[in-house]
Amino acid sequence: MNFFKRAWLNLTAKKGRSILLILVTSAIMLFVLAGLLIRNAADTATSNAKKSVGATVTLSANREAAFKKMHSSTSTSKSSRPKLTTSPVKLSDAKKIAKLSNVASYNATVSTSANAKGFDAISTSTSSNTGGGMKGGMGASSSGSGDIAIAGVTSTSSVTSFESKSSKIMKGRGITASDEGTNNVVIESELAKEDSLNVGDTIKMKATTGTKKTYTLKIVGVYKASSSTSTEQGPGATDPSNSVYTSYTFANAIKGSKYKNTADSVTFTISDPAKVSKVKTAGNQLISTSKYSLSTDDSSYQTVKASMNNVKSFADKIVWLVAIAGTIILALIVILMIRERRYEIGVLLSLGESRWKIVAQFFAEMVMVLVVSVVLAGFGGKFVGNQLGQQLVLQQTTTATTSSSSGTTGQPGGSGAPGGSTGSKPSGNMQGGPGSSHTGSVAASQKQTDLDINVTVMDLVELGGFGLAIMFLSIMLASGGILRLQPKKVLID
Amino acid sequence: MLKVNDLGYWYDRQENSLFEHVTLNFEAGTSYAIVGQSGSGKTTFLSLLAGLDKPRAGQIEMNGESINKIGLTNYRKSHVAIVFQSYNLLTYMSPLNNLMTAMAITDSAHRGDKRYAMEMLRKLGLSDEQMTKNVQRLSGGQQQRVAIARTMVCDAKLVVADEPTGNLDEENTRDVIELFQKIAHEQHKCVIIVTHEPDVAATCDHAYRLAQHKFSLEA
Ligand SMILES: Nc1ncnc2c1ncn2[C@@H]1O[C@H](COP(=O)(O)OP(=O)(O)OP(=O)(O)O)[C@@H](O)[C@H]1O
Ligand SMILES: [Mg+2]
Repeated sequence: MNFFKRAWLNLTAKKGRSILLILVTSAIMLFVLAGLLIRNAADTATSNAKKSVGATVTLSANREAAFKKMHSSTSTSKSSRPKLTTSPVKLSDAKKIAKLSNVASYNATVSTSANAKGFDAISTSTSSNTGGGMKGGMGASSSGSGDIAIAGVTSTSSVTSFESKSSKIMKGRGITASDEGTNNVVIESELAKEDSLNVGDTIKMKATTGTKKTYTLKIVGVYKASSSTSTEQGPGATDPSNSVYTSYTFANAIKGSKYKNTADSVTFTISDPAKVSKVKTAGNQLISTSKYSLSTDDSSYQTVKASMNNVKSFADKIVWLVAIAGTIILALIVILMIRERRYEIGVLLSLGESRWKIVAQFFAEMVMVLVVSVVLAGFGGKFVGNQLGQQLVLQQTTTATTSSSSGTTGQPGGSGAPGGSTGSKPSGNMQGGPGSSHTGSVAASQKQTDLDINVTVMDLVELGGFGLAIMFLSIMLASGGILRLQPKKVLID
Repeated sequence: MLKVNDLGYWYDRQENSLFEHVTLNFEAGTSYAIVGQSGSGKTTFLSLLAGLDKPRAGQIEMNGESINKIGLTNYRKSHVAIVFQSYNLLTYMSPLNNLMTAMAITDSAHRGDKRYAMEMLRKLGLSDEQMTKNVQRLSGGQQQRVAIARTMVCDAKLVVADEPTGNLDEENTRDVIELFQKIAHEQHKCVIIVTHEPDVAATCDHAYRLAQHKFSLEA
């Protein structure tokens, strides 16, 4: 008959009191659990965000340095007109950077254009083929411009618009790394419809620059661009449906032989967005920084992180507040309970029981109550956590969306620098007016702020730990009475 | 066995001492009664013997060792068993579990021996059904018998009782007093009973009267 058994006998003999204790403890545990759940969900969401929110590092020509060079050459040689010379990115550099740790994949982007031969490009009222306005100014390094905008990529799946699902492969497949060196093409669904083209068909295109050769391309896929993006393009651009995707090698071939093994820009997908700046630092040591620059974009990651940190700190506060309030409430209950049990304590003391074992008996009773309460709270926790989580997400998503879109608007993300050979952040998004890259980050952050509230065994273990700490503190606070109690005073009255 | 040396006790002021310079000897195998007027300090004296309080003056020795040195908790655990007027049982347990608890706490030689505890309760007139239901469902006499049984299953050689028959009728009183005599003579323990009933005092081997701050042997 140790103190543990006494605790059990006491709880089972005084059922009404035990049930009340369990209810009070369950209520407190439920609040703690709700806080823990939200905090853990925010934790998971943040680490998920780290993994899936696109953080990228882009290697492109260093336009800033090029401009400087142009101006300095103006002052030294007044005879010749200043010329802005930028170098296309060498793929060998890109491959070195791709080998750095935390770089998950890379996507080379080459933009150019060609004229449709044997099929009709889609013309819109605002666009004219002679306007020369490539979508977002992409690929304008080639002096001429055709009616079909060609985006040469490593793979379409890592193009921003495909990642954000604003563009989708409808038939066939997208461009992959295995398409390197082939003339495979993915065309837009509107173009396919107008010209009755299908996967497996071939089309012809004539280069507007260089050799002016005619190429035969094989359609391997049809994609659909979301209609909203077409409104974002500037006046004079050709219809977005005239944008096709090929391997970057084909785009280079169109541009001319000197562009072999180069790209307008190479975008590296970073596996852990928190390491973006580290990758940039390491990458800068591998390239000639006077010619090229590495720019980073982890804005959506930062946005998600910030909004998740808000939820987390709120949840942390809840956990601590409830834990403190719970400790106070339970301590008061335990103190009352101990006062009510002075007689019993006196009997035990008169038998020669040590005081700490009496404290241990009360603690054991509370732990038994706690075990039942944690299970009860576990059942209720899912419901409460879900309600609270939804409320929080509703608030936080609004904040995230607002800050996300405003955050990216100022970004040099628009590939719309007219005439520039390469934008500082070519997004690979054909319809790249300013704003088109926003869709991706907003969608990503909305996705990530979904708090997944699930009560796991780990949650309950953590809750139990919290409960134990609360019980321990309460008993310690209340046990002052036990330790001071004089058995004579209790027993002889 | 139990030696009281120059014992003195007061609550608030020394001038109001309940008793002073008390020197007594209590032997094993003997029963003692302590009588005296109400308020004379019998209970107080007993609480000192039971190790529930410390004397203001003098000391108490158990087998030649000061009980302060033994430690009061340890002394209560190993050397003394107490019976009160109001039984002082653990109310959330059965008589059997009360005995089992006491045996465990006091580290009795019969610790954990359920059959021994049941046998003891049976000897004291409790049925098997009574010994497993809550103690509060028993009559006063039955509860006091459980409290006495509790002292019997423990190894403590000193048993002190404060008005153990105070709440009992004549028949129960006779039974209980008989039990205390058996504890003294058959279990060879030292039994000290505070009582105001002359009949009870008369059955004990010796009786002390507390009067005018002094203990004196009754004729
Ligand atoms: N905790 C206390 N504080 C102050 N005085 C006390 C305290 N307990 C008892 N007294 C006083 O000490 C005196 C002796 O009390 P005690 O209980 O020892 O008497 P008693 O002989 O047992 O009396 P009774 O026969 O009525 O039980 C009484 O006058 C009582 O008022
Ligand atoms: Mg008294």
